[in-house]
Amino acid sequence: MTAGATRPAQIRGRRPLAAFAVWALLAAAFLVAAAFPAVSQPRRYTVAFANITEEPGLTVEGTGFTGADVRQSFVLAARGQPIDLVLYDNQKDAAKALANVADAIRRKVDLYIQYFPDPALNKDAAEMLRRAGIPALAVNYPVTGAPLYGMDNSAAGRVAGEALARFASRAWAGQPMVAIVLGNLADQANGLPERVQGVREPLTRLLPAARIIALDTRGNPAQVSLLLGKAAASSPNTRLLIAALDDTTALSAKSALEAIGRTADAAIVGLGCDRSVHGGASEKKEIDPNNRGSILIGSVAFYLDRYGYDVLPLALRILRGESVPGRTPTRHILITTANVWREYPPYDMQ
Amino acid sequence: MMIRTLKAAGLAVLLLGWTSIAFAQTDCKTLVPASPWGPNDQTGATNRVTPAVTKAAAAEIQEGKVVPMSYPLTDGVPLFGTRFSKTILTATTLAPGAALGENQLTYLEDTWLSQSHVGTHLDGLGHIGRKDCYFNQTPMGKYINQNNMTRLGLENLKSFATRGVLIDAVKVYQQAGKLKSNPNCKKPCLDKGTVLSKADLEAGLKLYNVTLREGDIVIIHTGWGDLFEQFPAKNAEYNSGEPGLGKEAATWLVSQKIVAVGNDTWGLEVIPGENPKEAFIVHNILITDNGIHILENVRTDLMAAEANSTGRATFFFSMTVPRAVGLTGNFVGIDGIR
Repeated sequence: MTAGATRPAQIRGRRPLAAFAVWALLAAAFLVAAAFPAVSQPRRYTVAFANITEEPGLTVEGTGFTGADVRQSFVLAARGQPIDLVLYDNQKDAAKALANVADAIRRKVDLYIQYFPDPALNKDAAEMLRRAGIPALAVNYPVTGAPLYGMDNSAAGRVAGEALARFASRAWAGQPMVAIVLGNLADQANGLPERVQGVREPLTRLLPAARIIALDTRGNPAQVSLLLGKAAASSPNTRLLIAALDDTTALSAKSALEAIGRTADAAIVGLGCDRSVHGGASEKKEIDPNNRGSILIGSVAFYLDRYGYDVLPLALRILRGESVPGRTPTRHILITTANVWREYPPYDMQ
Repeated sequence: MMIRTLKAAGLAVLLLGWTSIAFAQTDCKTLVPASPWGPNDQTGATNRVTPAVTKAAAAEIQEGKVVPMSYPLTDGVPLFGTRFSKTILTATTLAPGAALGENQLTYLEDTWLSQSHVGTHLDGLGHIGRKDCYFNQTPMGKYINQNNMTRLGLENLKSFATRGVLIDAVKVYQQAGKLKSNPNCKKPCLDKGTVLSKADLEAGLKLYNVTLREGDIVIIHTGWGDLFEQFPAKNAEYNSGEPGLGKEAATWLVSQKIVAVGNDTWGLEVIPGENPKEAFIVHNILITDNGIHILENVRTDLMAAEANSTGRATFFFSMTVPRAVGLTGNFVGIDGIR
């Protein structure tokens, strides 16, 4: 009896403790769920990308890449990321670019990626986005207050110049040589002056005896043959080191040198590394592991077809409240027959 | 003196050779996992097809209905780059007076000049590696000659007589309201670049209340094979990319201990891949690291229709692989028997 009377008393004594434990567990579960919602359902973000242009065939940034290449890189990179892309075409038009910003604000996107070359427009766009509380990210051209991702033309030029200079020092040391900067020198946009300056710097430093000349194609590859023919004729018994500011010019230079029989005297480095110079297993191009004897010894990568893979992770970091560098440059490296399939694995085989 | 020098040189060569072999082996142990079936294993995942597995799979044959799951191999089907498949008919006895004997026997024969990875085909364990390291840490450089491999050839494979499981990815995407069909497909298809995730595969299994079991072969219907069927008109589009497995899904399939996985595309995995700097990484995950076979250009639409109309997505997987010594793969015929 005594024991019987005691037992209920013990049970009664435990009830508040048990209830407290249950409530504590529930509270803990709620807190965990609130703190880690991503465990069950990762948060998705709506990210707008306003491309510079998507006009078919129109190349951008003094390279062989098109706006479609850039857009496609964003579409591909967004797969597997918690991102819903809203794609805009700025059509290289300020009014259109502003309208795109306004539309994105109406849609309440989480972040806006602006790729447009006009500083004044970008300033206005930045202000509109700031007022709407939408963070921005800039591609290639600054937007006030926004982290910038983009090419570094000076660095790319230096990679090209260094590649030529090192090749010449190795293969033609002590021989007379002339370095030729070839391309659309009249183009003061697209970072071409910086690209040219970047090329010149290592050539001057590493090959002090070499003469450097600049040949302006004015963006017309058909001019390459004429210009290069004259330059080569005026430099007999001289090695020719050619820095072509884009891949089309590089390929034209190679053809021109073949036509005048000077391939044994010349080495070319291009800039851009678009698909006109590298291909795949069944799409043979100039830079190919099975074409190691080419006088086009490489092309400096600009990776416009990979922008999305670099930019969207930055966007996610901003959206998650993490800090990002004020400027993130493209990693420009020389693509040659030795690394082309590592950098651009061909997928036309199985 | 000369002899001593020669001995020293010989020793040096021997040491160098031994060292390089040791390096190769060390490299492969770093680059590729060991086979769970032992250091001498050249068979891979078909080790899972035990008598019990085949017997259980036989229960899938309920009506005796045979569903073709391979495409005809003929001129004009999509091929890649330098790949070719060509037949030459020998018909000399059809010439007047060339028949043999009183019974006038005549005969026809073929010479088949073909690469092995064409049409509906199996990727063997020697097809894909990392550097020169292949399945089960095999330093393949030591095991190849001008004609074939001397390890990991098709002759080492066991039976594929097991249960097949169809995953209808088109239906998964339709039901989720996220199907964006390629305009070149006459029937619904996933577009190239569509990454199939673990969740997609699980949703596909749930559609037909299937749970994968050890020893299964998984066949995924993406609809992309519709372009193959339109050959040669849509070959370029077919080859330009494909929907397919992403890395997460491939890793999950590995954990399910399957024998093989195939679909109606030319390369099984999503192209363009998830990481543009990786080349056919799902092939590495499945074949190189886990000895799981890949089946490409599988005809899946008929089995998808069958599953849709009957509510059953499992079948007896009937496929034989020639005991072709030293081959890296071969075209195959597949039937699903229900």
